[in-house]
Amino acid sequence: MQYKIRAIFLLMCGLALAAACVYAETRKGNYAPAQLGTLSQPGPAELSPDANFQVSAYPAPAVDLVPGDGLQEVQIYCNTCHTPRYITMQPPLPAASWEAEVNKMTKTLGAPIPEESRQRIILYLQAHYTPETRRP
Amino acid sequence: MHGPKRYLTRRGLLRTLGMASGGIAAGRWLVPDLAWAQRSPSEKAVETFTGPRANPHWNSVGPYISEPQKVPLLLLTDRPVQLETPRHYFRTAFTPNEAFYVRWHLEGIPNAVDLKEWRLRIEGDVDKPLAFSLPELMQKFKPVAIAAVNQCSGNSRSYLQPRVPGGQWGNGAMGNALWTGVPLRELLDRAGIKSGSLQVQFQGLETGPGPEGLGSNVFLKSLDLKNPVLDQCLVAYLMNGEPLPMLNGFPVRLVVPGYFATYWTKCLTWVRILSAPDENFWMKTAYRVPDTPRGSTTPDDMKAGKVQTIPIGRFPVRSFLISPDGSSKIPAGMNVMLRGIAFSGFAGIQRVEVSDDNGKNWTAATLGENHGAYSFRTWEAPWTARSPGRYSLAVRATDEKGNTQPDEPVWNPGGYLWNRMERQEIVVGNAS
Repeated sequence: MQYKIRAIFLLMCGLALAAACVYAETRKGNYAPAQLGTLSQPGPAELSPDANFQVSAYPAPAVDLVPGDGLQEVQIYCNTCHTPRYITMQPPLPAASWEAEVNKMTKTLGAPIPEESRQRIILYLQAHYTPETRRP
Repeated sequence: MHGPKRYLTRRGLLRTLGMASGGIAAGRWLVPDLAWAQRSPSEKAVETFTGPRANPHWNSVGPYISEPQKVPLLLLTDRPVQLETPRHYFRTAFTPNEAFYVRWHLEGIPNAVDLKEWRLRIEGDVDKPLAFSLPELMQKFKPVAIAAVNQCSGNSRSYLQPRVPGGQWGNGAMGNALWTGVPLRELLDRAGIKSGSLQVQFQGLETGPGPEGLGSNVFLKSLDLKNPVLDQCLVAYLMNGEPLPMLNGFPVRLVVPGYFATYWTKCLTWVRILSAPDENFWMKTAYRVPDTPRGSTTPDDMKAGKVQTIPIGRFPVRSFLISPDGSSKIPAGMNVMLRGIAFSGFAGIQRVEVSDDNGKNWTAATLGENHGAYSFRTWEAPWTARSPGRYSLAVRATDEKGNTQPDEPVWNPGGYLWNRMERQEIVVGNAS
C-alpha cells in the first residue's frame, strides 16, 4: 500500500517536473497570437504644387451602440451633428444628465428632433448609459 | 530516509522539483511570479470607458486612430474630430505637430484650403476693412515668434468627481509649440478700431449643420478690446517651424498666450470688431466657469443657483511626471531620473518639487531651458527607491506669481480648470 502511494506520488512528481520544464522554457520568448492591421501605416500622399492644400478624409469608424428601443432615433437624429461616439465616450451619467444633454441639443442648439423622438432618445440613453444600466 | 509524510510537505516537494529541473525553474517555481501574471501593457487593452468613478489613467481610454498628418493618437470622437496626445510625447518642451492634440466643436471642418481664395479678413467696426492673403501675412509683417502652451479648457475632465458630461479627456489635451506669425495688434491697427467698440470676435472655417444664429452653426469666440492679452496675440502661420496641420488650424490660427485653447481659433478667417458684447452660445453659455476661487463649486450650489459664472480665461499652474510612467518596475537602489513638464498661464515657472512620501517632504527639481513664460518648462530630479514596494510620487509646481498646485480637487459643471497636484504610483522591485 505504502509503495503504491509512493509510486503514484513519484509519477505525479515526474509529471509536475515535465510541466515545470515546459513552463521554464515557455517563459523565455513568450509570444501570443495578436490581431494585425487594425492600425495600418498610411501610404505617401499625392501632392501637386498648386494652391490647394488638401488632406484625405477624416476616418469615421462605426460605433457600437447597445440595441434597444430608441436606437433608430439616436442613429438618425444624433448623427446629424456628430457620431454617436459622443454617447459611448461619456462616463455613465445619471438619468437627469442624459435628459439635460438631449434638451441642450434641441432647445439650446436647435436640433430639429420631433417631440416623440426626443422622448425615445432620452429613454434609450437612460436605459443603457447610466451608472445603474451601463454594461462594459 | 524520508518517510511519505516528509515527501508530502510543500517545501520538500518544491525542493525536489527545483533540484530535479536542474535549477532552471527552481527560483520561478518557489516564488509566485508576478511578472508572469502581470502581462506587458500591450497585451491587454484598456477599458473602453471609465466612470462613474474618476478615470484612473493618465490619458483618456480611447483607441489609437490614424488621422491625416498625424501619428496614431487617442480617439475621443471622430466627427467632429477630438484626439488626445499620449503621455510620452511630453518628454520634450515642444510637442511635435504630428502628435499635437485635436479638438473641434462642429463637424464641418476643412479637408482643403485653397490659398488662391483664402483671405484673412479684418472687418466689423473698423475704419478700413482689410483682407490679407497668406503671402501678405508672411511678407508685409515682421515675423514674431512665441513659445506658448495650448491647453483645452476641458483637459483632465475625466478626473472630476462627480463626473460631468463632455469630452472625457485625460491629461493629453495640451501641447506646447513655437508659434510664428503676425501680431494681432498690427492687423487691428492697420484696420483702425472705431471708438466705442467693445470686443474682437474670431471666426474660423469651422461650421455645423445647425440653424443659423445658434452655436451648432458656427463657432465664435471673443475677447474684450481692453484685455491686455491682445498685445501678445499672434496670427500664427508656423507651428514649430512648419505649416500647421489641417487639424490644428491650417493656414493660420490665433495664439492667445496663457489662455485656454477655446480662444485660439483654428483656420482663423474673420477678425470682427464688435460694438456690443458677444452673446453667442460659445461665449454666453459654454466655456464659463464659476466666479469662485479656482473656479470650483459643488453640484448643490449649482442647483441652488448660487453660482455666478464668467467666461474662462487663463489656465492655472500645472506640472506632470512624464517618466517613469509606472508601466514598468524599477529595481530597488537604482538611481533613476524623474522627468516632466510644468507650465502656468499666469507667469513663468519658478519651481517644481517632487515627493515620494505623499507630500510630507518635498525635493526641488532642476528646471530645464527657459523658453519663455508661456511655454512648457521641463524639469528633472534624481530619485532612488530605498526598498521594494509601491511608491506614490507627487509633483507640484509654483509659478513666478506664487501660484501653486493644491492637493484639493476642482469641480464645476463644465469640467474645466483641473490643476490638482499630480500623483503617480511606481512599483519598485527587489533587486536581489
